[in-house]
Amino acid sequence: MAFLEVHNLVKDFGGLRANNDISFEVERDELIGLIGPNGAGKTTLFNCISGLHTITSGEVIFDGEDITALKAHEVARRGLARTFQVYVAAGDLTVLENVMVGCFMKTRSRAGARHKAMEILEDLGIDDLSHSLVNELPVAAQKRVTMATAIGSEPKMLLLDEVAAGLNPNEIDGIMASIRHVHDHMGITVILIEHVMELVMKVSHKLIVLDYGEKIAEGDPQTVSKDPRVIKAYLGERYAKEHGGLNSVGQSEIDP
Amino acid sequence: MDILVGSLFAGLLIGMILALVALGLTIIFGVMDIVNFAHGEFLMIGMYTGLLTAQGLGIDPLFTLPAAAFVGFLLGIICYFGFIKFIIRGPMVAQLLGTFGLMLLLRNLALLIFGSEDRAVHTGLLVDKSFDIGMGIIVPATKLAAAGLSVVAFFAVWLLMHRTRVGKALTATALDAQGARYMGIPTERMNALAWGIGGASVTIAGALLVNFWSVNPFIGLLFTMIAFAIVALGGFGSIPGAFFAGLVVGLITEIPGFWDFFSYTFDAEWMMDVPMTSFKYMWVYVAYFLIVVFRPRGLFGWKQ
Amino acid sequence: MEAIKNALDFSDSPRIDLIVAGAIGIAIIAFPLFPHSSFAMSTMIQFLMFSLYGMGWNTIGGYGGQVDLGKAQYVGIGAYTTAVMLIRWDVPFWFSMPIGMCLSVGWSFIIGYPLFRLKGHYFAIATIATSLVLKDLFEVWDYVGASRGIEISPIEFPTPDFMRLLFRDDIYYFYVILGFFFLGILYINWFRRSRLGFQLRSIKDNEDVARSLGINVHWAKIKTYAIATAFVSMVGSFHACYVKNIEPEDTMSLDISILIALMAMLGGAGSLWGPIIGAGILIPLKSYLKEWLGAQAGLVGIDLILYAIIIMLISAFEPRGVWGIVEKFRRKRRK
Repeated sequence: MAFLEVHNLVKDFGGLRANNDISFEVERDELIGLIGPNGAGKTTLFNCISGLHTITSGEVIFDGEDITALKAHEVARRGLARTFQVYVAAGDLTVLENVMVGCFMKTRSRAGARHKAMEILEDLGIDDLSHSLVNELPVAAQKRVTMATAIGSEPKMLLLDEVAAGLNPNEIDGIMASIRHVHDHMGITVILIEHVMELVMKVSHKLIVLDYGEKIAEGDPQTVSKDPRVIKAYLGERYAKEHGGLNSVGQSEIDP
Repeated sequence: MDILVGSLFAGLLIGMILALVALGLTIIFGVMDIVNFAHGEFLMIGMYTGLLTAQGLGIDPLFTLPAAAFVGFLLGIICYFGFIKFIIRGPMVAQLLGTFGLMLLLRNLALLIFGSEDRAVHTGLLVDKSFDIGMGIIVPATKLAAAGLSVVAFFAVWLLMHRTRVGKALTATALDAQGARYMGIPTERMNALAWGIGGASVTIAGALLVNFWSVNPFIGLLFTMIAFAIVALGGFGSIPGAFFAGLVVGLITEIPGFWDFFSYTFDAEWMMDVPMTSFKYMWVYVAYFLIVVFRPRGLFGWKQ
Repeated sequence: MEAIKNALDFSDSPRIDLIVAGAIGIAIIAFPLFPHSSFAMSTMIQFLMFSLYGMGWNTIGGYGGQVDLGKAQYVGIGAYTTAVMLIRWDVPFWFSMPIGMCLSVGWSFIIGYPLFRLKGHYFAIATIATSLVLKDLFEVWDYVGASRGIEISPIEFPTPDFMRLLFRDDIYYFYVILGFFFLGILYINWFRRSRLGFQLRSIKDNEDVARSLGINVHWAKIKTYAIATAFVSMVGSFHACYVKNIEPEDTMSLDISILIALMAMLGGAGSLWGPIIGAGILIPLKSYLKEWLGAQAGLVGIDLILYAIIIMLISAFEPRGVWGIVEKFRRKRRK
């Protein structure tokens, strides 16, 4: 039994099939990268797993429990946390208060939540920002704050949605270190949606590739990056045929 | 049996007029997503306009419609440019309280100008005449005419929205304001127009209503709530929805009549003791609550 | 214990706020010592009452972000419970008030569950609908005096009566409501920094994010609504003893609901001092306008017209209220 199992997940929005028959497994100690072109259905998949969307058909099993029908807050309480791609904070929460919201899931007392929040901020190296307003911070810091908030809920698994978007190379290194810290030292399983390839290739044990709502490849980063179907998804069919090893009927001519 | 048919008929008649009342609200909401608490006050102004024009010019109240429409249109446009356009960019609290302030303003201006006594139409072609539609049911001619004209006015507005260029532009803005803007449709003007047409339709309804319903500065709120219920049932933004929902709500206001029918049919003493007539409009509020909780899209609506 | 410490902890407010608040607080306490008309005293009592109404509303309307325009029904439940229990069974205020609160809170859970599936203006209109329904019911219910309401005759009871809260002199009412007022402030100060308070801020920000952090959004809103209801009901009970004459049109009308919401909005919804500032501006304004203008022959309704214009101006130009202006100013200073 894997830590997270997704079986034949389908998500329809009226006539549009956003996720089509997706299956994969994640082990406790893995760090998985979820990649694919824009609109492939990656965030939708996260929403399905975390309970924000009702799944049309299929199953999600987390830590031995069937969480398919659970609502978002129930999923979160079972130890599955996530961040969001687009998140603009309202005016009045400071960084510390923001993270405290996450901590309040497990802690009831204010002092306790505050203490834990400070610890997490120190861990991620942003404790000096604790009294700043979230929406006055630069993007890189904001992303760290959303990570810290999610970690506040003491998750066993964390879904990160494009935490490196819009960052410069230095900042990318910084966030990469944070991700590694979360996974290696805090023991949290991580699935990462990313477009920043250097990041995702370096940290992931395994990549899962989506295109047009379907899983088209799965495997270690090196192999997947050479998979013609993956190349086709990102660079187009013609390029894949000319340079990527895709034959005339769309099949890969490279041994996996 | 005649109670049943009588109530049914009365309900449908009033429903047609109520549909027209709600029409303005649904157009404004469809185009601009703003809920107008002062809607009933527009109706009240329409009623006074109809009344005073008839008395002042000595013409039959049923011919005052153009005057009422003109006043309503102007009122809508003035409200938009003078006030509404400033609150649409604000938070919801501000919009709700803002139109509520408008409601208070209009209501108390009317109080100041007209005084608080009830006024009604007393002379006219159709006053005191009635039709006998069989089974001993008598319908006042004014009510019948008002209902008929309401349907005509409703249909006219529907034609305007769907068959004219201006109307189509409005409908486009209702469906997708940004998209409409890219197509060159000026949103600001559409918003003002929505208020103008919305205002005119409800004042026309007022001028029709005043033929058999007396007016005072305070009746606005009741009709605002009724209009909300109709729009919720029919679906915010849907014009045909407003019509059918209007009929349904009209029937709801006749619940006391149906109640009487059932209490006589079943000879149930306990039913006769309940003072149903006092609860006439309460059922409309209950209906609103139930619809909005269990079927927010209403019958035909596309907006949520 | 920690809760009490939290309630008394104002350390995260700027010093100047506390100094001003303290000064005003002392002024209010000392108010009766200065020469004042009975009109001023009754206005002051109303100010304290409406501050409390506003503070209660603010929990769900300000911190919670759901505009509730149906609070008047709870004023009614609180007021009528106290009045009926006094008239029929001679129950003192200190028992009937908590009972009224329980009834109100109970009702709030019943309608809260379906209500909070709605948002925005649908929610607001639904709250109005429920309040109007209850008012209509009270208007035909003979047990509570139907539309004539209930009158508590002070002659029957020896004054001053602390158990039944019936006094001849307003000064006693003043100190009772003042006590509630300070307790209310302490409660809200605790509330906004409590777990529920934080949850609400997250919900107001972005509900999906809040859910992903394990917050049961629906339940959090219902709980907050119950808190707001308790506040309003408590003051409603006080209102019955103070005014001694209650009827549905006075206590449960839409105008009352709007007035309550307005206190908080004008002063600044979602802030601790907002409702108090709002009440401090609106109540004296309303009272004095009515005194000077309303009574003048031929100018009926002018006070309400001015009041309406104020509402419209605030909605259009400063929807965050007075406190919003203060915060804007402070933010500019910081940069």
